[in-house]
Amino acid sequence: MAQGDLSDEALLAGMAVGEQPAAVTFVRRYQKRVFGLAYSMTGDAGVAEDVAQEAMIRVWRHAPVFDPRRGSVASWVLTITRNLAIDALRLRRAVPTDPDDFAATAAGSADYNPEESVRRGDIRHVVHAALDVLPDEQRRAVVLASVYGRTALEISEAEGIPLGTVKTRIRTALIRLRAAVEHAEGVSDER
Amino acid sequence: MSADAPKNDPGCARYTDDLAELALGVLTGRDRARALAHVDECPRCAEELEQLSRVADTVLQVAPEVEPPVGFESRLFERMGFTAESRPARRRLRALPPLRSIRPRQWVPAAVAAAAAFAALGFGLSTASTPPGIQANATTGTKTVLSGDFVQAGETVGHVVAVGGDRPWMSMMLEDSTARGVVHCVVVTRDGVTHEVGTFVAREGYGAWVAPLHLDPKDVQKAEVVTPDGAVIATATLS
Repeated sequence: MAQGDLSDEALLAGMAVGEQPAAVTFVRRYQKRVFGLAYSMTGDAGVAEDVAQEAMIRVWRHAPVFDPRRGSVASWVLTITRNLAIDALRLRRAVPTDPDDFAATAAGSADYNPEESVRRGDIRHVVHAALDVLPDEQRRAVVLASVYGRTALEISEAEGIPLGTVKTRIRTALIRLRAAVEHAEGVSDER
Repeated sequence: MSADAPKNDPGCARYTDDLAELALGVLTGRDRARALAHVDECPRCAEELEQLSRVADTVLQVAPEVEPPVGFESRLFERMGFTAESRPARRRLRALPPLRSIRPRQWVPAAVAAAAAFAALGFGLSTASTPPGIQANATTGTKTVLSGDFVQAGETVGHVVAVGGDRPWMSMMLEDSTARGVVHCVVVTRDGVTHEVGTFVAREGYGAWVAPLHLDPKDVQKAEVVTPDGAVIATATLS
């Protein structure tokens, strides 16, 4: 089996024991997603490269402590990237991209095929479609919280909306996203 | 479990909003401590939190894929302290002439060579060996290889190459175009259908990318670089 055919978990296992080819393959598999997330959040290619490089280095260093029971490799890698991007934005006092733009540009990903995505366990397109049909205010609230790490209180203050309203928007949005994912997975299981 | 189950219990109802924020990782301070203590003792809310967390994780994953700037890998691997032997294909790529200085008549072989090197790196081939068949494909024509110039307002501003085989792929290069920031590359097949190839970042009109092609290059009639608004920046007819 070629290195490129190995699962994410297998590549991380290789990285954990210092296998450079595993790390090279992993970087090549994830660099567009990591850089894409950093760029989507910061809107600055230079900052995004710094963030993406640091994220990859942390993945390389911390591969031994990755715990698959706590989530997927993709979630882990992208959460590291998100946290670094948030730090970079705070450190540089940079202006993050608008959360509405984040949701809009997410549509640019290649090979849009929801059914195939669900079949292979990739629910990105399902979530994107579900985000697309959320009311604007709910989408904005859930993107601000999940991508930009804003608390309900921060969103409330920044947007001039009552705290309770923000909390309700976040919860409702997340529940709707979950319903969309469950529906898609149910359709997939029926096949 | 239904979405509303926890709030049917008065003890759980007060944590309904908190569970969503916990799942998103944005609940802090005492609220977070209280919610976690409740989840620890309430199997229903624990299950609810697990389900919401799984969905929350996926929101990050809808971020678009964007090709990092040229040289990203080299700089990264250097920082990671990798030996050159672990990335032989990239070293070969660095030996190519700088893309910005390539004159239009040199684009075809340079783009094919660059794309071959890129393809060896990015699409699941073994990183430890020379990519099987890539060089042969480009030079002997044993697989479909189509190419064309990107034209903008009558001027040639770049080049595109589409290569067939088990894993078709496409290389695109723009130089001195009006493209800025995120652009989409699409191809139009002979039946008139438009297919997205990928989303890329152009810097000051320049960009060089490689992406998998999820269709037979023989069916591709033309390639276009378009803005996120859908405006066509440059078009190439492939033959």
